[in-house]
Formats: sequence, C-alpha cells, structure tokens
Amino acid sequence: MNAAELAALVKPDKVHKSVYTDPAIFDMEMDRIFGKAWVYVGHASQVPKAGDYWTTLIGREPVVMVRDRGGEIRVLYNRCPHKGAKLVADGCGNVGPLFRCPYHAWTFTLDGHIRGVPFKQGYNDTNFSLDDPEFSMRPVARVAERRGFVFCSLADEGPGLEEYLGGALASIDNFADRAPEGELEVAGGVMRVMQHSNWKIFFENLNDTGHPQATHESSFAAARRTVREKLGGKTPFELHIIEGNGEPNSFWEGLELRCYDYGHSYMDAIFNAPTDEISLEYRARLEAVHGPERTQEILSMNRHNTILYPSCSPHTGFQQLRVIRPISVDRTLVEIFTFRLKGTSDAFFQRTISYTNIVNSPSSMVMVDDIEVYQRCQEGMESDGGDWISQHRMAGHDVPFDGGLLGAGISEVPMRNQFRAWSAYMGETGA
Amino acid sequence: MNTDPMLAYAAAQFLYREAALLDERCWEEWDAMFTDEGMYWVPLQHGQEDPLNHASIFYENAIMRDVRRRRLNESRAWSQQPVTRTARIVGNVQIVEQSSSGLKVRSTFQMTEWRKGREQRHLAGHYTHDLVGETPGEWRIALKRVDLINCDGIQDCYEVFL
Repeated sequence: MNAAELAALVKPDKVHKSVYTDPAIFDMEMDRIFGKAWVYVGHASQVPKAGDYWTTLIGREPVVMVRDRGGEIRVLYNRCPHKGAKLVADGCGNVGPLFRCPYHAWTFTLDGHIRGVPFKQGYNDTNFSLDDPEFSMRPVARVAERRGFVFCSLADEGPGLEEYLGGALASIDNFADRAPEGELEVAGGVMRVMQHSNWKIFFENLNDTGHPQATHESSFAAARRTVREKLGGKTPFELHIIEGNGEPNSFWEGLELRCYDYGHSYMDAIFNAPTDEISLEYRARLEAVHGPERTQEILSMNRHNTILYPSCSPHTGFQQLRVIRPISVDRTLVEIFTFRLKGTSDAFFQRTISYTNIVNSPSSMVMVDDIEVYQRCQEGMESDGGDWISQHRMAGHDVPFDGGLLGAGISEVPMRNQFRAWSAYMGETGA
Repeated sequence: MNTDPMLAYAAAQFLYREAALLDERCWEEWDAMFTDEGMYWVPLQHGQEDPLNHASIFYENAIMRDVRRRRLNESRAWSQQPVTRTARIVGNVQIVEQSSSGLKVRSTFQMTEWRKGREQRHLAGHYTHDLVGETPGEWRIALKRVDLINCDGIQDCYEVFL
C-alpha cells in the first residue's frame, strides 16, 4: 500500500474501516507507529533493586526493563544473541547479578553486554568476539524517564520524550505531584483484560464524551435503583463512580477536550474531588508539604483520562494507568496498574483499589458494556454494510492552538487528533 | 477433618443448592444465602490475603451484589444480549474448619460459560465458603472466596457471579 492509498483512508471527518480490520495495515502500524513513537514500558518502582526486571511488548518486540548495577534502568530486547531464546520468562522478578540464557548459559551483565560463553575454546579463530555488539543483548534505541514513568522508542531519530508528550506531559507531572512525597509506586497488582477489537477503538473511546449515557445505561440505571430502593437516596463512593456515566447531555457538553500533537489528549474530570474524611486528610498531608496555595494548584488540575498515544492512559485522580498492547488487528491487551501516592494513608490507597475493582477489573459492570460494543464495532466494520467510520461530531469546529487542537464537550476532536498523528506516522516511508 | 457424615452431606447439599441458583440466574435467592455483611471475593492474585490493599477480580458486598444482579436483568445490558448461561459442577467438598458458630468448607468447581456468538469458556478453581449458623438450616455465607486457577492470567470479561 503506497502513501497516496494510505492517505486516502483518512478524511477530515471520517476514516475508512480497513484501518481497523486490515491485517496488512496492522503490520504497518507496528513498524511505523510502534517502531517510532515513545511507547510506555513500565514504572521505575517496579524495578527498585539491581537485577529487578519487568517484561513487556513494544509493538511486537518483547523487551525487558532491568535496573543495572549502577542504578540505571535499561530496556533491552528480551533475546539471546546466540539462538534467539527469550532470556527471561514473561513477567517480573530478579535475574541476579547476570542474565543467563536457559539454553546454552551465555551470560550478560545487567546492561546487556555479553560476559561469557561456555566452551570458549570452540570460538577460537571464528568471527565471534566478546567486543562485537552482535553478541550482546541489543538495547532499544532510546529510553527516557519522567517521574518514574519509563518510555522507549525503537527509532534512533525523532523528538525527545518531553517534546513528544507536549501538553500531555503535565498529566504525568501532576500524577506524581499529587503524592505528598512527590513520588509514585506501582502497587496492588496488575489486571490484564483482552479486548476482541482493534487497539484504536479503545483509544477513541477514552475521550468519547458521547458514549457513556448510551453504553453504560445498564450499570448507572442499576446503581441508581440500588441507591433509591436500598440506600434511602444516599450514594456511596462505589456507586458514585458508576452512576456518573448517567449525567445528562448538558454535563458532557460543558467539558473541555484538549488535544496535542502526536495524538495525545485529555478530557476534564467527571468526578470532582470528594470532600469525605479520607480526601480531607489527604489534602491536609499535601498542604503540610506544599502549603494551601500549591496544593490547590495541584488538585485543581483535575483531568479524567489522559491519552498518551499510542500506548497508555493515566487517570491521575484515582491513580490508575491503563497500558494498551495491540496483539493483532482484532485483539488488544489492556494492562491496568494502580499506584500508591507516596506519603498517603492506607485508606486513601484502598479507594484507588476500590476504583480499579469497579471500573477496570475484568468483572467491571461498567467496562463490560464498553468491551461488548467494541467487539460489535469490530464485527460490524468487517461487514460490507458500509466503508466509512464517522467522526463528524463537531467536525469543522476544532480550534487550533500552538501544539494542538481544542474542542468543546461532545466533540469527536480527540479521534480526529489521533488520526492526524496516525496519518503522519503512516505516511512516512521506511523506518 | 470432620468425619460427621451428616454434616458433610449437609455442607455438600448447601453448595449444590447455591450452584443451582447461580446456574438458574436466581440472583435474589442466591444473595439471600449471605449474611448482611457477607462478602463475595474472587482474588486477582494466587494466595491473595488482602482484599483491601490489592486489586481483586471481584470484591463485592451486599450493595455491589445488588447493583450487579439488577444490571444483569437490565434491558440495555448490551453484554447480556443474549444472556450468559452457565453449568457448574462442585465436588471434593471438605469441611476444613469447624466451630460452634459455623464452618469453613472447601470445594473444587468446574464451570462452563456460554453466550451465543461468543466462545464457550471453561473456568476452574476452588471455592472456600465461610458459613455461620449453628445448624445447617441456619447457615449463611459470611465469605465466599473463589480462587480461579488462572486468576493472574489474561482475562476476558466476567459478568455473572462465579
């Protein structure tokens, strides 16, 4: 598929269905988007000690994030240069002082450099050399860290992480600033949910203010009935976060959608900072460190889902991070992490856990209807019933600013913004 | 540990009745088997001890169960069009603890789950029921714990109670 054919798939207000259904386009995305963009790897708190590792996928590439003996975080391809075996099993753990291949016991220092091979005399008078990088673990091209969030890029060239994230960088900073100690820690386990749909459908949903009332009626209607019939009209925290999806049109119309170059965006918060005892105690801890003015500044940056295209979405208010790993054209793995704000109480963290159990768990009464409609989209897109996917809502009203686009309320501007980035990536030829 | 065959029989019958209510989508009758404070818990981590400081697949009190069973009957529960059907087998029922006020029963389950148009799914694991009440007729569930063998794996969605 040439550049002109690719360009013809994306119009200012609609996209061709094949971008969601064509395996050849998916393969190109892996090379041209995931092979270039800054992609989230993991959080520094997952590898606190030398030798600690965490494996993941960057596009189709299995990588291992590891802390070396000097304390630096490395991101290496999880591949032995001898026979290609993955050096560590998928997951996390500690490799000890060296990586050691399970197949022939080649060893590597924690920065990936080859340390030794058995039967050394067998390599005399061959082209094998401990100094040749071909025989070491290959590092990814670029690694960058911001407030503990580790990203990598598989391409040597391109914008730096901070330039790349633009205005969305503030969501990461604000996430960490919300901790009284200014640091975050991954805690509470990781959930892994498979979506039977293309990865872009999920990204488009994250800032889609037009869907909650329709998609989530079953859960907010049920929650409201429980509140009415069982709780005398009082809405506990757990049900508040479910029934918020049932806010009327005027609520969604009043939100702001701010989009940045490279596909990022965020929508305004839909749950205001609670004023219960736990929240007030938390605020007091933040004020003890920063004073009331700076605390107000930190907490008033109240964003719902931020999209860090094309790999993750933090929710700073409830300390969640959803990481999106495309598996195939119609399979998307979503990993959900929860974070402890260092310097907060257990009660505060338990609310983070409660939120993830209700909203992000595979049993979520909210998310299950999302995942159902994503799959219905995928199946419908594959039909001959039409060729185009509409993004017309408030098209033509996107307001450009330096570094992005602004949209109001129910606009589909985040989707148009994602395809602006998609087209730029896909239009470039070669790596 | 307990060798009283009548008690073991009663415990097994209790679990079979519970399984049948779930398979028949009799959510209200099922929920009535719990104490007011009773919890339904499906850990995310193998051997998980703490439901408060660690995420779970389900950790539901009476209020959350009330919302879930209402949602399953909502006409616009898109993911219940059509509804999930289940068949489960409960076996290896063992009374593992016993006191004057109740008992702890461990069992193994196999559950097959199907929705039209979707892949049939096989689930397996262990149930642990903390039952309170002095006699079998008075038993109520204080905690139902469901340990899936793949709790920490990649999951498709769960909708109905396991």
